[in-house]
Amino acid sequence: MIKNKETYRQQKKVQNSIFTFLAFAFFIFSMLQLNIVPERIVRSIERLGYIFGNMFPPVTNEPVSLFTAAIESIQVAILGTILGVIISLFLAVLAAKNLTISPYLGYAIKGFAGFVRAVPALIWALLFIVAVGLGPTPGILALAINSIGMLVKVYGEALEEIDMGIVEALESAGASKVQVILQGVFPSVMKAFTAWSLFRLDVNIRYSAILGVVGAGGIGWELMKAAQMSRYDEALMVTIVIFGMVMSAEVLSEYMKKRANAASAQALN
Amino acid sequence: MKQEALNISNQGEKGLSATKPSKYSEYKRRRKIMLKSQGFITAIILLLAIWSIWGTGFNLLSLFFGTYEILVFIFTDMFPPDLTVIGQLIGPALDTLYMSYVGMVISVVVSLVLGVLAADNLTPHWTIARVSRAVTAFLRSVPAVVWAIILVSGIGLGPLTGTIAIGLSGIGILGKAYAEVLESIDGAQLEGVRATGANWFQVIGQAVWPQFKAGFVSWSLYKLDMNIREAAILGLVGAGGLGYYLQGSINLFQYKEAATAILMIFALILMVEYMTAKIRERII
Repeated sequence: MIKNKETYRQQKKVQNSIFTFLAFAFFIFSMLQLNIVPERIVRSIERLGYIFGNMFPPVTNEPVSLFTAAIESIQVAILGTILGVIISLFLAVLAAKNLTISPYLGYAIKGFAGFVRAVPALIWALLFIVAVGLGPTPGILALAINSIGMLVKVYGEALEEIDMGIVEALESAGASKVQVILQGVFPSVMKAFTAWSLFRLDVNIRYSAILGVVGAGGIGWELMKAAQMSRYDEALMVTIVIFGMVMSAEVLSEYMKKRANAASAQALN
Repeated sequence: MKQEALNISNQGEKGLSATKPSKYSEYKRRRKIMLKSQGFITAIILLLAIWSIWGTGFNLLSLFFGTYEILVFIFTDMFPPDLTVIGQLIGPALDTLYMSYVGMVISVVVSLVLGVLAADNLTPHWTIARVSRAVTAFLRSVPAVVWAIILVSGIGLGPLTGTIAIGLSGIGILGKAYAEVLESIDGAQLEGVRATGANWFQVIGQAVWPQFKAGFVSWSLYKLDMNIREAAILGLVGAGGLGYYLQGSINLFQYKEAATAILMIFALILMVEYMTAKIRERII
């Protein structure tokens, strides 16, 4: 027994060192493939020092346009999230195994969501720009569709975990399908839905900050302008504004989650 | 109000004469609170929506037009994908993979240091912990693409820029994750090893590492998953990899080639997710 344990440990040790060696070898290999050699690293560190030196103090020449761009980013994120949430609610009910009208429809929706989720939001924005033109609209649509990909999955998982007893009780009381969903299903998943939707708003604010990079409106474009003119101090200012947006979104969604939980706790106990 | 509710329900349980009406009024009261807070939240959401629609000039009809247009675009302009360019895409795809991996290694190494410094139970001093946490919070809140844009104009186009951008934003996530895992380890074991007179390295090796390993591996692999997605889009701003190719083909109106690039990104993401899942299973 003891001997077995000893050999097992030995094996594990050998295995671990092989893994470590492979990981390290692949790291070196990747560096060489990317042509990252010491000389280039030194040069880029010099450049980094130069950028960093030119970043301070952060300034902005057009505070108003920076502000409006930041607001626009937030608005894009809010609309993208709301549209995504509304559409996902319908799709998730149709996708959940226990509520769907046909399992094939469920698989189709899940497959669609999986594909939509795997294509990053920025690429969706690029496609929507070609389809509907520049401006905030493609950004909103891109965020909405990318949100659908994630929300249908997590909503669907929450719906599949509900207690079917409630549904059966309502059904036997003669409730229609819509009544069952509104009265029996949604109240029991409300908490999970709120948490996920707020999380998605958080994610969308991050995305909306960079959508401008491809021309889909918002603060990303301001950053692009500053960087293209090598005005690192302005770029730092935009970065700080983005940081502020993301941070305040985090704080706000945390507060809303707490408030929603407190409200339901107050009503329940 | 909570106390009051508690009293009433206690009375109800004791079976006092006023059970029925008080339960019913209690139900009504709770329903009122529920409706009120629901109404409040709905009103806020509606206001936010109206404000945003007004600000962005979004037309609700464009939801339908947009869906229509994108479907037309995908099925007439992008479909069928031009598979002949797959040969040209293998190089950028591998670049994307290398960028994500090297970026992960950079962020793992830096995050290990920052994580140890930020963890309450291992930090040399609490001010250092605060500083380390602030640095990771800042790096975490700024998306990788932002770093890439700044670095592209400073260092130049190419995968090196993308790698550094990925590494920087990775430090934000991994630094926090490592610190949290380190803080959750069992302090008694640490004390035990320390009591035998072990030095700092021995404590780390014998007490910290065995408890830290599982969290370390799964967070690092999770980051690798995320990196592939990020690396794929960093190219859009000129930082190398598949995104660069995608941006180029869209600019040249070669949408069928772009479709192949998107499929390639999709395949790469799935492949790496499958591989990291396998590695995670084996190690943990």
